Amino acid sequence: MAGPVDVREINGSDLISALHLAQQAPAILGQESGSGATSSNSTKTADYYVRVEQLMLACLRTGDDQSAQNCLNRLSLRFGPSNERIMGLRGLYEEATAKDHSALEKCLQEYDNTLSQSPVNVPILKRRIALLRSLDRPSDAISALIQLLDAIPTDAEAWCELADLYQSQGLGSQAIFSLEEALLIAPNSWNIHSRLGELLYICASEGDTSRLLGRSVQHFSRSIELCDDYLRGFYGLILASTRVLDNDYAGVSGQTPSKKTLERLKAFALQRLGDIVESRSVDDQHWASSRSELIAAKELLNRFK
Amino acid sequence: MAIQGAEQTILRDPALFYWILFPISIVMILTGILRHYATVLMNSPPRSATTLAESRERLALIRAVNLRNNACSVLDREAFEMRKNYLVNGFRSGAFLKDPNNRGQPPANPMTDPAGMEAMMGMLKGNMMMMIPQTLIMSWINAFFSGFVILKLPFPLTIRFKSMLQSGVMTRDLDVQWVSSLSWYFLNLMGLQSVFGFILGSDNAANQMAQQMGMANPAAMVNPLQPGQDPDKMFLSEAENLEVMEHFCILDGVEERILQNFAPAGI
Repeated sequence: MAGPVDVREINGSDLISALHLAQQAPAILGQESGSGATSSNSTKTADYYVRVEQLMLACLRTGDDQSAQNCLNRLSLRFGPSNERIMGLRGLYEEATAKDHSALEKCLQEYDNTLSQSPVNVPILKRRIALLRSLDRPSDAISALIQLLDAIPTDAEAWCELADLYQSQGLGSQAIFSLEEALLIAPNSWNIHSRLGELLYICASEGDTSRLLGRSVQHFSRSIELCDDYLRGFYGLILASTRVLDNDYAGVSGQTPSKKTLERLKAFALQRLGDIVESRSVDDQHWASSRSELIAAKELLNRFK
Repeated sequence: MAIQGAEQTILRDPALFYWILFPISIVMILTGILRHYATVLMNSPPRSATTLAESRERLALIRAVNLRNNACSVLDREAFEMRKNYLVNGFRSGAFLKDPNNRGQPPANPMTDPAGMEAMMGMLKGNMMMMIPQTLIMSWINAFFSGFVILKLPFPLTIRFKSMLQSGVMTRDLDVQWVSSLSWYFLNLMGLQSVFGFILGSDNAANQMAQQMGMANPAAMVNPLQPGQDPDKMFLSEAENLEVMEHFCILDGVEERILQNFAPAGI
């Protein structure tokens, strides 16, 4: 039955693991026709369709349009073309294989048509927003996203996207607000905590510097507390605490901790980052997907030597 | 009462075993499986919101609950007060209602409201699925097999089990170890859950596929409002919950905390 597929490769969102997954396309797609559609264990078949969906995304990213088409056909054979999620995937496929600008415009038109019939088709709503963004109409995308979030305020993914859009438009405080909303839905996600820390660090140069930097340090610390070998968390903590110390903000307002704590925090972060870089450099193959992060961390460590 | 120490012996025709014990068990297992698939077949997925306003009405409540539960791990005081005021004002003024103009009017009669009707039909279908086969099988057993003693348990039991194991057999002196056919039916009814689990996979495995594809739509996933409930009343009580909430933040002092918990002593 199912060949052993590395979990890491399935979960990865980076290009290398996408490539690995896409190369398994013939194996995964050939599997079901061999073992027959009468697979008894429904949990297993459910897993199988999740994998086909991931495979389709990976194939689209790596340019294997033919396999992606196969995946899509298989999914719509099972769930019917009117399933909302299948509609979203079909839209994604059309967008990815669109030849020119006018083809994309046609996709947009199609989405609008679908939405006029069923206004709460979430996958299509999201595709439309993503398409607006890739058509270089960020303000339209933002207003559409706000409309979506007004109706569905419990979607962390959408809040993160909104934060990203706001940041690309240089609207720092709005981006911070959106990320806070995402965190309210998923309060223990260390990557969002660290992302919020990054945003606060970036926005700190615009005004109210000491307070924002203090909060930035807090969020980086929280992300480390939740995941104690998170590279980005340590990296950000070093940057943020250095900036607080350099500008003498330590202990100024109620938000920032004392100078001594910050110095200890920075020393601790430097040490742990050094350990992480060392251990991951040894196990190079396993961490191949985050090599760029590793290089940046090394560079930062060299600066403080 | 049975005489202590003396073993009661009843000569049973082995045909009792083949023609009563077996058929009852097999029929029970088969109806259980049939019922499972009938439930899967007739199960209608929860109706998802059809308009954006309806989805907002459903999810505003969840947003407030999220804020109450998670604010302490994310927000500082200023951000918390801002969100709290926004939500409380929205709940109080009815801004999150699907239909702000209908506010204060009595909720629609669930009998005439199509959504309520659907939910009630679902409940009715579920109940019917339990009731009808049970009634049929029980009357079948009563008509054909009532009064048979069909098996002897290999271990002694106290007298209290008599009513459970010997329904349909009205003898005072029979030892409690003997089980009547009707009781065997009841034992099967209660005790076959694990057999079904073994045959059909972990509970509701057949349903998983439908849920999985529905997952992409968070609006369809949850509906905190039961049919017939007045969302306005729930909003008002949620606003009260929010208002009495005291702000604290676990981010305060997080720096010292991680130094204490993670950093080696030398730093």
